[in-house]
Amino acid sequence: MRGIKIIMLSNFLCAFQEDFFLRALLALFLSGISAACLGSYIVLRRMSFISTAMTHSILPGVVGAVLLGFSAYWGALIAALLTAAGIAWISSRKGSSEDSAIGVMLSVMFALGIAFMGLSHSWRDFTGLLFGSIVSVSTEDIGVILGTTGVVLFCLRLVHKELELASFDEEYAHLLGARPGLLRSVLLILIALAAVASVRLVGALLTTALFIIPSTTGVLIGKNLKEVMFWSVLCACGGGTLGLIISYTFQGIPAGAAIVLGCAIPYFVVRIKNA
Amino acid sequence: MHSSGYQLRKLFSEAFSNLFPAVPYAAPESSESGDWAVEVKNLAVQIKSQNSPVFSNVSFEIPFHCRTALIGPNGSGKSTLLKTLAGLVPDYSGEIKLFGGEPRLGRSRIAYLAQSPQLNPDFPLQLKRLVQMGTYAHHGWFEECHHADEKVASALKLLELEDLVDRSVHTLSGGQLQRGLLARAAVQGAKILLLDEPYAALDTKSREIVENFLFHKNNSFTVIMATHETADSQKFDRVLEIRDGSLKTTHACAGHKNHYA
Repeated sequence: MRGIKIIMLSNFLCAFQEDFFLRALLALFLSGISAACLGSYIVLRRMSFISTAMTHSILPGVVGAVLLGFSAYWGALIAALLTAAGIAWISSRKGSSEDSAIGVMLSVMFALGIAFMGLSHSWRDFTGLLFGSIVSVSTEDIGVILGTTGVVLFCLRLVHKELELASFDEEYAHLLGARPGLLRSVLLILIALAAVASVRLVGALLTTALFIIPSTTGVLIGKNLKEVMFWSVLCACGGGTLGLIISYTFQGIPAGAAIVLGCAIPYFVVRIKNA
Repeated sequence: MHSSGYQLRKLFSEAFSNLFPAVPYAAPESSESGDWAVEVKNLAVQIKSQNSPVFSNVSFEIPFHCRTALIGPNGSGKSTLLKTLAGLVPDYSGEIKLFGGEPRLGRSRIAYLAQSPQLNPDFPLQLKRLVQMGTYAHHGWFEECHHADEKVASALKLLELEDLVDRSVHTLSGGQLQRGLLARAAVQGAKILLLDEPYAALDTKSREIVENFLFHKNNSFTVIMATHETADSQKFDRVLEIRDGSLKTTHACAGHKNHYA
């Protein structure tokens, strides 16, 4: 046990001397902050399923963009916005609930992504998109993640009081003229942006975990929205860092999976304590 | 002295309002304008899924500061009438004036309390914050809310909730929550209270506090309250009864009899 602790500590110190690790850590912190703040609303408004759909559906956009030779980020954003529009359109038709609309769009977009990958005849090139490739985060990626995080946090700050009101008492928000439907659309666009920023980090399959797990932990601890967000960010950054160190120490474990497992540790600790 | 963040939000708020004038939000309005607090002429409401209208040819006037009971059997349309007055039912025919203006969303002087408010049971919120939300009615998009601590404290005191300010709203009893929602309406600055059976969840003590709040002569509310209990109606200035899709006034407001002579 003591030996493992010493190995972990020495790896911890070595890791911080590596440029790629520091870049990965910076990307994790930036994505973690925006995902956790948005995740607080997602969890409290019971929108986990739609956020899963949004994060999974970016796959065809990213693959399509790589095949056509333009930025993967633009491809991901277009795919996420198409998914949101598709869900809104299907659920507005007679006889279709939002729940089934999300299920249809999630499956169709993900299948489309796999079809595009098959067309490229090279599955290996896309494993980084599916499972994340944090070690290959470039300075350009950091710039994109910084930009999207800035936009997400700025927008959340701007409509904070309206979102809080609409999330707690939708009818009162409607009565005051605060347009809960419009706010929901804004939230979906911000989720799309944050998902695009996180895809390099943990991959299309696990991005949703970065939104949901730290925020679910925050909800268990926080007594109000500010406290929920504070604890969510702390769990995302702290748990993610732990995951990165585990991935660095045991090199067979992909970083994306390790980050998600690291974020799950505080959740289970709090869950068991509160059980 | 306001921070640069406040100035920036103010700038955004003004720009948004100019760009989207059709998105009203908490527009300031005077307390009393028009001849009546509430004036309804030939009102008819039909729900799309039903063949016959909920009610039709409904006309009445309510003077300022008059407390009115709205009685009638289940399904007679009391809740629909209150929602229509609040601006929540846009499809109606006839004419409605509240303080001289049409019912629409975003009017800070009008508060509506549903019989069973649909609050998010997962959302962590303390009672004080719930009451502070009433101040949102006076701020535009993106503007920071000033917590108006004095107003909030005064509303909490009026409804005897001072000891519960830090309690989660989800741990309050039905009566305490109802009082919290009334405190929010007071902080909002509402002058017309549209209340859908507010006594349903109240014990004797809470009911006494709510009655003091609604009927105290210093609180100049105009109240329209849907109620089942005809015994309650004795305390009101005026009683309106909805039955079989039409409305009849049973007795006039004592303090304003000249309007009904």
